[in-house]
Amino acid sequence: MRSDHLHELYGYRHLIGTLAWGEFKHRYKNSVLGYLWSLLEPLLLLIVLYVVFSNLMRVQVEYYQLFLLMGIILWNFFARATSMGLNAILGKPSMVQKIYFPREILVFSSGITALLMSIFESLVFIVFMAYFRVPLSPTLVYVPLIIAILFVLAVGVSLALAALNVFFRDVQFIWAVVLQAGFFATPILYPITIFEGLLQEILLLNPLAHILTAARDTIIYATPASSTGLAYAAVVSFVVLGLGYAIFYRFEPRFSEEM
Amino acid sequence: MSIIDVEQVEKQFRIPHEKRTTLFEALTGLMRPNHYETFAALKDITFSVEEGEMFGVIGENGSGKSTLLKLLANIMRPTKGTIRVERKVTPFLELGVGFNPDFTAVENIRTYATILGLTRREIEGRTGEILEFAGLERFRDTKLKNFSSGMQVRLAFSTAIQTNPEILLMDEVLAVGDMDFQQKCLDVLNQYRKEGVTIVFVSHDLGSVRRFCDRTLLLRHGEQVALGETNEVIDRYVYGEHGDSSTPIDDEGGDAAPEGQDSSRWGNRKVEITGVGFFDKFGKEATRFNTFDPMTIRIYYEAHERVQNPVFGIAIYSEQGIQIYGTNTELKDIQIEHINGEGHIDLQIDRIPMLSGRFLLTVAVHTHIGERYDWQDKAYAFDVIHTGRDDGLFDIPCSWRR
Repeated sequence: MRSDHLHELYGYRHLIGTLAWGEFKHRYKNSVLGYLWSLLEPLLLLIVLYVVFSNLMRVQVEYYQLFLLMGIILWNFFARATSMGLNAILGKPSMVQKIYFPREILVFSSGITALLMSIFESLVFIVFMAYFRVPLSPTLVYVPLIIAILFVLAVGVSLALAALNVFFRDVQFIWAVVLQAGFFATPILYPITIFEGLLQEILLLNPLAHILTAARDTIIYATPASSTGLAYAAVVSFVVLGLGYAIFYRFEPRFSEEM
Repeated sequence: MSIIDVEQVEKQFRIPHEKRTTLFEALTGLMRPNHYETFAALKDITFSVEEGEMFGVIGENGSGKSTLLKLLANIMRPTKGTIRVERKVTPFLELGVGFNPDFTAVENIRTYATILGLTRREIEGRTGEILEFAGLERFRDTKLKNFSSGMQVRLAFSTAIQTNPEILLMDEVLAVGDMDFQQKCLDVLNQYRKEGVTIVFVSHDLGSVRRFCDRTLLLRHGEQVALGETNEVIDRYVYGEHGDSSTPIDDEGGDAAPEGQDSSRWGNRKVEITGVGFFDKFGKEATRFNTFDPMTIRIYYEAHERVQNPVFGIAIYSEQGIQIYGTNTELKDIQIEHINGEGHIDLQIDRIPMLSGRFLLTVAVHTHIGERYDWQDKAYAFDVIHTGRDDGLFDIPCSWRR
């Protein structure tokens, strides 16, 4: 990416913030219940999954409720960011057809909206942490880095999806199926260690597996994140971002005609 | 110094015979090539705009005006050619981009102004001013969905003009709001001109283009037909290839018919009408008049012999050929004892009541029993340009009461 493009993006930083914040407010507008619902949603999912899987699982996991909730919140962020990002271009026709700004701003801002929503959801997690008296550990310093890697991954995927969705309207349905499968292929419900050998290696290709493991290690279990795992996740995320950008800019010139 | 340079720009749109909008169709269609037609929205456009200039773009619907603006705004990219724009462009292609009906006026101002490139501090400082200009101070915390569409437009425009544009692209946005608001808009436009903002102005309102634009580009079916001084270009637009219409326009057969054998001209030519001039309120010859302005129609004649009691008459037709009005000197109790040699007679219209359009004029001179000396049927034309917003052919003096 050229530096003048970065400079241009920097000039639009307020726009990214304003759009993201506006969308966030819009999602919860008019209802205290709106905020409440967004807290209830992961909680209900947690209860259902906990009831089912705490009995099914053979492997005992310490703090399984927290383990599960952490997985749900992080996965929710990824799923929500990409689903919103998917529609970031197509859902704002007037902004694309009537005015100019670098189009990826729409994708960035929807990613930030998803991040804000997830941070809000995390309140539930904090309450749980306090309830289970999980001690705060110095390994929490890893958290911003882990979130940053996850954010880069989500935005990279969103860029590609947003561009493709303008031209192929069934991308959103395909992506819904991919997310569905991803929910089970990612170690959300189970620790990656329940699988062995080749299967585990395949599942570990997924950068989200490393991100989730690192987050749980550092937040719940006061263990430093595996540096190889985190480095792998970071490299993959940035490669995805690069690819996403390439795809986005391959299609970007024809956005306004195709919508 | 030119700050917009457009060189040999071409814009084509592809119109596929079979629209493939899904990945599934795209994959199944890989084997069969997709046929499509190309439609050239713009062909070989070359012009440049100087700094501080107001540049008009006119043309019929579908002539490519809006496409050109979108190219200048970087919303679309040209298929061929280059576009160089030196400064920051503020496009007003649509007002209120990004307005959210669930947000209050102030929140929407904040979002919209950010989209238009204002900084946070500028927005905070100008919010009051924006609301005041829009006349909406009392509604600052009202949700946008409770605004009338007129109020929304006012809010959007008031916000938009707070941006500090260097190059402004305007697409017909003035055609909204009531008279009072339109006047405000024109004032702002004038203010921008004085400040030296470069403006590219697309409009159907020839009156505004004529009033404001230094130079104008005329497009027809995507081609650049004329480029130059506004008045000349508007003439090209209004009169097509015919040029100035105060000369007879009865050359429709292509080759100029020899005088006297003209199907739209009758009479024994003892008195000949040698020309007609239209004069505006400044006494200058013109072909275009504003509604409600005075106008003088001058009929030049040459009597080849002494003629007693001639009667001069006129009739005005709409462009569709419907007679709107007709009168003559006899009906107005004017006695012309005799004429001989060259001379002219004026018909003074104090106030043109027609709203807009092209009007055709028949002029005639005949005896008081109707024997024709010279009758030129719909041989002259003039245009009326409306600056108000009433609709129809004619102004009817009236007022609303309740």
